[in-house]
Amino acid sequence: MKAPWHYMTVGDWLVILPLICAALAGVAWVAAAPGGTRVVVTSGGETCFSAPLDQPRSFDIEGPLGPTHLVIDEQGVRITGSPCPRKICLSMGPARHSGDLLACVPNRILVRIDSPGGKEAPYDLLSR
Amino acid sequence: MTCSAVDARQLARARRQVFLALFVAVAVSMHALETLLPTPVPWLRLGLANIMTLAALYLYDGRAAWTVSLARVGMGSLLLGRLFSPGFWLALSGTIVATSAMIVLYRLAARRLSPVGISAVGAAGHALGQVLAARLLVIQHPAIWKIFPLFLSFTVFAGILTGWLACGLLEQLRQHPAFQSPANADRCGEQ
Repeated sequence: MKAPWHYMTVGDWLVILPLICAALAGVAWVAAAPGGTRVVVTSGGETCFSAPLDQPRSFDIEGPLGPTHLVIDEQGVRITGSPCPRKICLSMGPARHSGDLLACVPNRILVRIDSPGGKEAPYDLLSR
Repeated sequence: MTCSAVDARQLARARRQVFLALFVAVAVSMHALETLLPTPVPWLRLGLANIMTLAALYLYDGRAAWTVSLARVGMGSLLLGRLFSPGFWLALSGTIVATSAMIVLYRLAARRLSPVGISAVGAAGHALGQVLAARLLVIQHPAIWKIFPLFLSFTVFAGILTGWLACGLLEQLRQHPAFQSPANADRCGEQ
């Protein structure tokens, strides 16, 4: 078996380079997104919790499998405990940019960062 | 062997069935092995099973590629206990978009592209199909598209790697008597 470029044609590069450029441009665009201001948690498609991102807080959200534990601190919001089997959500790290997402698919919990565009949210804290 | 007494078309069909069954078996094993390997982020995998889809596409045709990819998703999920779970629908959607993209590109430009280019586009299609399914079924919010660029950059490199490995496999397989018929001789990915 020979090196990859031995097999590759000019056409391959013409296909691969635009894909890589698009991916890197997308990554740069996402990384440049402004920091968000609110944490919004939805469970099974319904918003069940919302709080400002700049106030440290620790709370539980009830999902079909049990409580998912979340922490808001200076790094953003992250999932610190979950009853799901594979714990993928724990390895997602913190979210703080507007539009960032944390998701626990088995427990149907979705954490999103919003920035209500200068307009103040009509409430400080929402918990259902 | 006493092949000479058998109808050539019948022999070709039997060979095709045997090889596709082998390809599916290898693809399912690679899929399972890859899932069991530890990775930094659990849903990032190389997609080594795509090597077998590419081999079926290059040595046979689009229908063979569909057989290998769909059988791999179905049997792989059954083996790992994920059949009809959310992860299964994501994998199925990714595979359908990836296989369609690879077959269309193969038909359009097989002579100008090697398996590396086809595989890279297939990998991008896989990422697109997965995020699309996740958007529709799991996370019904447009913010899911934010993970797409990162996903895409990883997956294109994974696609190049699997395409390269497929080139190596095709090189070996073409030396096998079963693939040395004139029908296959001009379908090489190599220039």
